[in-house]
Amino acid sequence: MAPPPAEPPRRRRPALGGLPRLALLLPTLVITALCFVIPLGLIAVYSFGTVNEVNFDVYFGWTTQNYHDFTSTLYLHTLARSVFLSLSTTLSCAVLGFIFAYYISRQPPRAQQLLLVAVIVPFWTSFIVRTYAWVDLLQNLGPIDRFARALGLHGHIDILYTPYSIAIGILYSYLPLMILPIYVSLERIDPALYDAAADLGATPFRQFRRVVLPHAVPGLIAGIIIVGVPALGEYVIPEILGGGKTLMAGNLLADQFLETGNYPFGSALAVTVMVVLMLLLFLLRRAQPAVEAQ
Amino acid sequence: MTATTTTTTPAVDLAGVEKQFGDLVAVRHLDLQIQPGEFFSIIGPSGCGKTTTLRMVAGFEDPTAGRVSVSGKDMTGVRPYRRPVNTVFQSYALFPHLDVYENVAFGLREARVGKAEVRVRVAEAISLVQLEGRESSRPRKLSGGQQQRVALARALVNRPDVLLLDEPLGALDLKLRTEMQTQLKDLQRSVGVTFCYVTHDQGEAFSMSDRVAVMNLGLLEQVGTPEDVYHRPASLFVADFVGKANRFRGRVTDGSAGVYTVDIDGIGSRRVPGPDGIPSGAEVVVVVRPENLRATPAESRNGLTATVIDAAFLGAVRTIRLQAAPLGELTSAAGGAGAAPAPGSTVSLTWDENHAWLIQAGD
Amino acid sequence: MNIRRHPVAAPLSLLILLFMWVPLIVVAVNSFNTQTIMAGWGGFTTHWYSLAWHNEDVRTGLKTTLIIAVASSVLSLFVAVTGALWWRRASPKARAVYDGLIFARIILPEVVFATALFFLFLKIHFSLGLTAIVIGHTVWNSAYAALIVQARMAGLDPALEEAAADLGATPWRAFRRVTLSALMPAIVVAGLLAFTFSFDDVVTSVFLQGASNSPLPVVILGMIRFRITPEINAIGLLVMLFTVTVMSLAVIFYATAGSLGRAGRRGSMLDMYR
Repeated sequence: MAPPPAEPPRRRRPALGGLPRLALLLPTLVITALCFVIPLGLIAVYSFGTVNEVNFDVYFGWTTQNYHDFTSTLYLHTLARSVFLSLSTTLSCAVLGFIFAYYISRQPPRAQQLLLVAVIVPFWTSFIVRTYAWVDLLQNLGPIDRFARALGLHGHIDILYTPYSIAIGILYSYLPLMILPIYVSLERIDPALYDAAADLGATPFRQFRRVVLPHAVPGLIAGIIIVGVPALGEYVIPEILGGGKTLMAGNLLADQFLETGNYPFGSALAVTVMVVLMLLLFLLRRAQPAVEAQ
Repeated sequence: MTATTTTTTPAVDLAGVEKQFGDLVAVRHLDLQIQPGEFFSIIGPSGCGKTTTLRMVAGFEDPTAGRVSVSGKDMTGVRPYRRPVNTVFQSYALFPHLDVYENVAFGLREARVGKAEVRVRVAEAISLVQLEGRESSRPRKLSGGQQQRVALARALVNRPDVLLLDEPLGALDLKLRTEMQTQLKDLQRSVGVTFCYVTHDQGEAFSMSDRVAVMNLGLLEQVGTPEDVYHRPASLFVADFVGKANRFRGRVTDGSAGVYTVDIDGIGSRRVPGPDGIPSGAEVVVVVRPENLRATPAESRNGLTATVIDAAFLGAVRTIRLQAAPLGELTSAAGGAGAAPAPGSTVSLTWDENHAWLIQAGD
Repeated sequence: MNIRRHPVAAPLSLLILLFMWVPLIVVAVNSFNTQTIMAGWGGFTTHWYSLAWHNEDVRTGLKTTLIIAVASSVLSLFVAVTGALWWRRASPKARAVYDGLIFARIILPEVVFATALFFLFLKIHFSLGLTAIVIGHTVWNSAYAALIVQARMAGLDPALEEAAADLGATPWRAFRRVTLSALMPAIVVAGLLAFTFSFDDVVTSVFLQGASNSPLPVVILGMIRFRITPEINAIGLLVMLFTVTVMSLAVIFYATAGSLGRAGRRGSMLDMYR
């Protein structure tokens, strides 16, 4: 006797009658394999190549010279600054985003929707224009400068075209991206949980720690990934708010490809950025269950 | 299994049908015929193959062996959209972006039916399921019962040869379910379309069907009227599936052709009706339904005594659990009126010898 | 704790909200400001708007951006929908790879991707320009579109297409009349979102434009570099209004998609007769 049959699996029919399923995958394959994976692979391969300084020929030969060039302080410095800027703004984003998301989540539903819309609508407007607005705001003789001087500051705020303005720019642009996932996690909290915790003897602070925080963690981690990773490779914000004096990895990379033409070195840079990102992702993914277990 | 000796073409004819998914055998050699105009149900536990069988009739699965015919026409290789068959799905599968009217009209539009005729037939179908006035509603605005009726109308409006229903009442609460059962039965009677109904609920199938097929592990155990299946189960599985059954082991000592003398362990020799062809000496099981097993506080006259464990009052019926060593635990059911026997008291058990049935052991 | 009245959290949250809106207000106000430096209000003027309107680069940029955005949205939708249809019946392993590629396309910094694609095009001698930009945009736009379409697809009862077949629809008609129709709200939203992203894009466009006309955001970037301040605010406000309108349309459409347009007996149903 054959073993008893379980619920029979639904037969996989071709997705559109005669059309083979592979035909459906073709557009995605072209876009991802051809135009995404292969270019990245190409970059990785050419990061081990060299460029002829004279005729700008790029040829491929196995060398780690490009990676060695990183030991030059300038580039390492830039990379380190990128990582530092990205990390610090991500953290500030996380703190501010959390506060705001928590605030929203404790409002009545109507207010919640309104607040969310209020936070998202700016996000829909032109990114470059919004970033540019900060140039106006942060420049000496701009409104913030004058406000600070009215408060008694001597001299000027001198924020524009420094790492600080870049940080503000990144914080500004990515804050909604941080708020949303945290909000989604917090919104799920059943209000009865607060009562349950109070019933079991938890003070408001402990309620917060033991009810709110654990729920927020998945959203926090998602937010940190969505913000931290792209922030590392930011190009526009340092361009506009860094004024050409402050470089991040993204600008350096663009420069190598668009100006200098040292493609192998640029490739090595790109690969390094990707490796750092994957490391970051990996660490964050590992942290997820561990933090949730607390 | 009763062979049909009728001259009308069956509405559905499954000949030697088998279905295998990889090395999973969902349906084994199935020979089944559904007569035109009857309300036919397939029942069985989950995984027994009843839904797979239904899907093979609808055309969503192709049999790995055997042949499916509808109204005498071989359906091998015929796609679902070309079969004279319509299905009412378990999840109703109403099109969310269409209102009730367009849902019901869907099949007619596919068949290129003229605008005027569509209007008439849709109105007809909608009034048949008593949903007048809801034509412009979207499915998600309707209650479960209403959605179910839209699904019904959508299928029936196409005047299929056979209507297949896959556990359509599963999502409804008990009261609604019972109401719908009556409505379905009346509907089938008035429209006259052959219904093939699949469910795991034996009571539901019994209340509506002309005939019932019991399946288990891909095999057809028995086909017959609800009475046939209940009072004359072909196997122990069927006996247990369609109701509670008291079982007594024994041996045939004499008899053939429907009536046997059986030496029942712990009781003695009794006359027991059964199917033809059980040889003398065969090991058998005597099945007595609780409502046929009478428990009286009188002195035992035929040697079967039992102790009452407890009695449960269910309103119309009182079920009494009894311990009759060495036969084990038995169940008796009596009308709710009358006194409840006290737990621990001794009773004597009897049954009308016409109200038992014999099943050959090893089935 | 009642955070609504929390001494720190509440005002801070309101400050954050202000923080989000101040730049927009600055741009809006400044676009009408006669003063070229934010040294204060110099008087109302629409001079910058007429300047922007007559700026040849700006007009070409707008046209270019619109072409790119439309082309990229359409392509991205095509990729996303076909991908979602494939995904329905794909094995878990294949799905994991597919989903991973969506994640990768969204997370990867645009600069890294843009340089990689730039390099590829260089190596295979594919000319940079409009087509290259459209391709580049489509790579990440299709990821966002796929996310939205997939979410909708997952909510669809798989029995729906079977029901359509049961009622006489051939596979193609079942797809058109049932699946595609049910997916339509998601498709519209995804398309509008992709359009906005393309319209707004700087990095990929910079890398892949080659010698051809620059899309509007790149034109703006150039103007910022050369400090042609005042027009930017005017252009900025117009662009902001445009993208906010498009996105609002998307949201409104999505929210009312269920009750939108009675698929009634008249009108649109006539074309169902083929």
